[in-house]
Amino acid sequence: MAANSLASSAQLASSASQLDGVPHHLETSLVFAGSALAQAAGVLLRLPQEIIAQAIVIFARVWVGSEGASLKEHSAKHVSAACLYLAAKLSAHSRLPRAVLNVYAFLDALPPTSLFDDAAALDDPGPKAYYLTEGDYHARRSLMMKLEAIVLRILGFNTHVALPYTLCINYLQAVEAFAQPQGSAVAKRAFAHLNSSLMNPQRLYLTHQPHSLATAAIYLAAREVGLKLPGDEWWEVFDTDREELGFLVVAMISMGGFVEQEKRRWEKSRPPLTVDQLDRELERLGAMDDGE
Amino acid sequence: MSSRWANSAADAAADAARKKEKEEKKRARLEKQRLLEARQQQRQGHGDYDEAHDGRQPPAKRRRLSDATDGGSAGAPRKLLRFAAPGWAPCRSVDGFEKLNDIEEGSYGWVSRAREAATGEVVALKKLKMGSEAGGGAAEGFPVTALREIQALKEARHRHVVELREVVVGSSLNDVFLVMEFLEHDLRTLQEDMAEPFMPSEIKTLLLQLASAVEFLHDHWILHRDLKTSNILMNNRGVIKLADFGMARYTSSPPPPNLTQLVVTLWYRAPELLLGATTYDASIDMWSVGCIFGELLTREPLLQGKNEVSQLSAIFGLSGVPTETSWPTFRRLPHARALRLPARPAHPRPPDARALVRARFPALSAAGAALLAALLSLDPAARPSAADVRAHPYFREDPRPKSEAMFPTFPSKAGQEKRRRRETPEAPRRGAGAGLGGLGGLGGNGAVDFSGIFGGGAGREDGGKGWGLKMV
Ligand SMILES: Nc1ncnc2c1ncn2[C@@H]1O[C@H](COP(=O)(O)OP(=O)(O)OP(=O)(O)O)[C@@H](O)[C@H]1O
Ligand SMILES: [Mg+2]
Repeated sequence: MAANSLASSAQLASSASQLDGVPHHLETSLVFAGSALAQAAGVLLRLPQEIIAQAIVIFARVWVGSEGASLKEHSAKHVSAACLYLAAKLSAHSRLPRAVLNVYAFLDALPPTSLFDDAAALDDPGPKAYYLTEGDYHARRSLMMKLEAIVLRILGFNTHVALPYTLCINYLQAVEAFAQPQGSAVAKRAFAHLNSSLMNPQRLYLTHQPHSLATAAIYLAAREVGLKLPGDEWWEVFDTDREELGFLVVAMISMGGFVEQEKRRWEKSRPPLTVDQLDRELERLGAMDDGE
Repeated sequence: MSSRWANSAADAAADAARKKEKEEKKRARLEKQRLLEARQQQRQGHGDYDEAHDGRQPPAKRRRLSDATDGGSAGAPRKLLRFAAPGWAPCRSVDGFEKLNDIEEGSYGWVSRAREAATGEVVALKKLKMGSEAGGGAAEGFPVTALREIQALKEARHRHVVELREVVVGSSLNDVFLVMEFLEHDLRTLQEDMAEPFMPSEIKTLLLQLASAVEFLHDHWILHRDLKTSNILMNNRGVIKLADFGMARYTSSPPPPNLTQLVVTLWYRAPELLLGATTYDASIDMWSVGCIFGELLTREPLLQGKNEVSQLSAIFGLSGVPTETSWPTFRRLPHARALRLPARPAHPRPPDARALVRARFPALSAAGAALLAALLSLDPAARPSAADVRAHPYFREDPRPKSEAMFPTFPSKAGQEKRRRRETPEAPRRGAGAGLGGLGGLGGNGAVDFSGIFGGGAGREDGGKGWGLKMV
C-alpha cells in the first residue's frame, strides 16, 4: 500500500491536549521533542530509518483530534518509547523492551536540545552505558506495554505507514538525476528533507501522501544543490500539483527556523515530556485557562 | 492491621475519585469539542467538512457526537468505519455487540456469532488471545501474531478473503476483538456433515476461488502459512473466503532468513518445513492448497500424520521418496541428515507422484491428477503458483466449474449451535518444541529410516497405510 491514512480536517482542528488546556504552541513543541527523542533512540538502537520514520508518524497520529491522546494524561516521552517499540515489532527488526527502555533512560540524561539537530551524530554510548534497576525496568516496561495498547486503540489499529523514501529514489531515477554529477548530493539532501519533515510542526506526514512529499523534497534539494530538472511542471508527472508542491516546499524550508526556535526555547529548561512536568510548566505559564 | 485496612480503603477511595475525575474530564472535553464544532458549523453554514470518504461513512463529526452521549452505547446508529476510507478513529467498544452463540475456540482466539445492536447486523467476533495465553507472554506486549493478523486482513481486501470490518475493544486493555462478516460454514465442519463429497464441478469452483485469494495474498507479499479447510469459510451462496490470518506474515524476494518452521497445521505442512527449512516462500501455501484439493475430493484430510515423522512418511507415500531429480536441494535441509533413504531405488523406476496420485484418486481426470501431483511436488520450486493453478487445463475440461448461484445450501452449524471440537491437530503454537529435531528418536544421533518405503523392507506399519517407517 503506497497510500497513507490522513488526518481529517476535524482531527486537525482540535486535539485532546488543547481541549485539556495545553496551549497549541506548547503542544507543538512537545510533539516535536518527543519525535526527536524517537529519532535519537532509533539511531542508538540501530533501527533502519524507515522504522524510525514509521514510529514518528504513529507518534504524530496519536495526538491529533479530540479523540486522540492528551499530553495531560499520557507522557510524551513514554508514548514515544511505546511507538518506537511498536514500530520495530511490526517490522522484521523488533527490539527487546529492555533495549528500548535503556536507550530512553540514557537519552534522559542528555541535554534534550542536543537531540534536535542531527541525531545520527550522537555517539553510541555502548550497551552498558545505561542500566535500569530491575524495579525501574519492570515499572517502565509495564507502562510501555500499557501505552502500546492505548496507542493501538487510539489509532484503531491503523499502524500501517507508507513512506516516501523508495518513491524518492524512483523519481530521481525517472528524471535521470543520477546521470548528472550532483545526483547523489541531491538524493542526500532530499532524504534529509524527508527526515526532518517527519517532525514538521505542520504535520506533513499526516496531511500529505508520500508521492507529494517525495516530489517536494526533490524540488527543494535540486534547487539547493543547483541541479537542473527537465522541463517545467515535471512534478505533475508524479501527481503533485503546483499548489501542493509550493505549500510543501515552504513548509520544508521553514523547518530550519523552527528547530532553532525550539532550541532557544529549551535552552535553559527541559521540555516537559511527562505529565507531571507538564502540569508544573502549565502552572508556570499561568495558562490553565482555556486560552480561547 | 486496622491502619492497613484504612489505608487500602483510602486508596480505593482515591482511586475512585481519580477515575471519576478522569471521566469528568473526558466529558468536559467532549462537551467543549461539541461547542467548538457547533460554532464552526454556524460559521460554515452547513459544516459539511467531510473528506471524500467512500460514501458509507458519515461525517466524522456526527460519529463523535453520537459517541459523546455516553460512551457510544446508545445514540444515533452509526455505520461502521470502513478501512478503505482514508483516516482513522479510535476503536469502538464491544458493548455495541450482543453475543448470539459461540462458534469455536481455536488456538489463537475465540470466535462467536454476534449482532451489532445499532444495525441488527450479524457478524463474527473473534477475541484475540493476549499475553501469556497466546504463548508469547505479556513480556512482549501486544502479541505480534495478532498485530500481523490485523495488518494482513486490513490489507487483503478481496472477494475471497473474509472482511475485517473493524477492531473493537472491551474495558480491559486485553480485550480486543476482530469484527468480521459472518459466514455460515467452514469447509472442515461442513464436509464432516455432508453425506457425499462436493461434486467435481463444485470442487473446481471452490479451488478457483481459493487460488484467486492465494494469488492476491502472494501478489501482496503475504504468506498465509495456515491454509486448511477449517480456515476456509463458506456462505450459502457458493462463495468461500479465506480466514484466520493468525500465522500470516509479510515476505520479500528473496524471502527473509530465519522464518519459523513452526507454521501450518501438521496435515497441511509442506515437506521442507518438516525438514526444518527456515527460509521458504509462497510455495508452502501451494502445498497446503494441494492438501485441500485432495481433501475436497474425498471429504477426508489427505495426509494425516500423527507426528512429524509419520507425516513425512505419509507425504513420501503419495509424492514419492525424494531423489536427486525429484528434489535436488533437499539434502541441504537441516533435518535431511536424519533420514535414511534408499541409496538406489528398490524398484527400477520408483513410482512418481503422478502415478501415485492417480492410483489414489482413480476417478480424477488426467489433468486433475497432474495438477494435484504438481501441487504436491516435494521440490518447492516445482509447485505451480496460484496464478498457474487458475490457468490449469483441469478447469477448462468438463465438467466445468459450477456457477456459484447453483451451489446447494447447507444447514449452518455456526449459526445454530456450539460445534463439536474437530479432530484436526491444532495449529502450531508459538514457542512449541521445534519440528523434527524435537522428536524423540530424531535428535542428534537418531535417524529415521525410509529406505524400505517402496521396497517392502522391514518396518513398522503406519496405521495400515502400507508404508514402512523405521527409526534406527
Ligand atoms: N467470519 C467468520 N464467520 C463464521 N465463522 C467463523 C468466522 N471466522 C472464524 N469462524 C469459525 O471459527 C473457527 C476458528 O476461527 P479462526 O481460525 O480464525 O481462529 P483460530 O483461533 O485462529 O483457530 P485455529 O487456531 O484453530 O486455526 C473457524 O474454523 C470457523 O469455523
Ligand atoms: Mg483457524
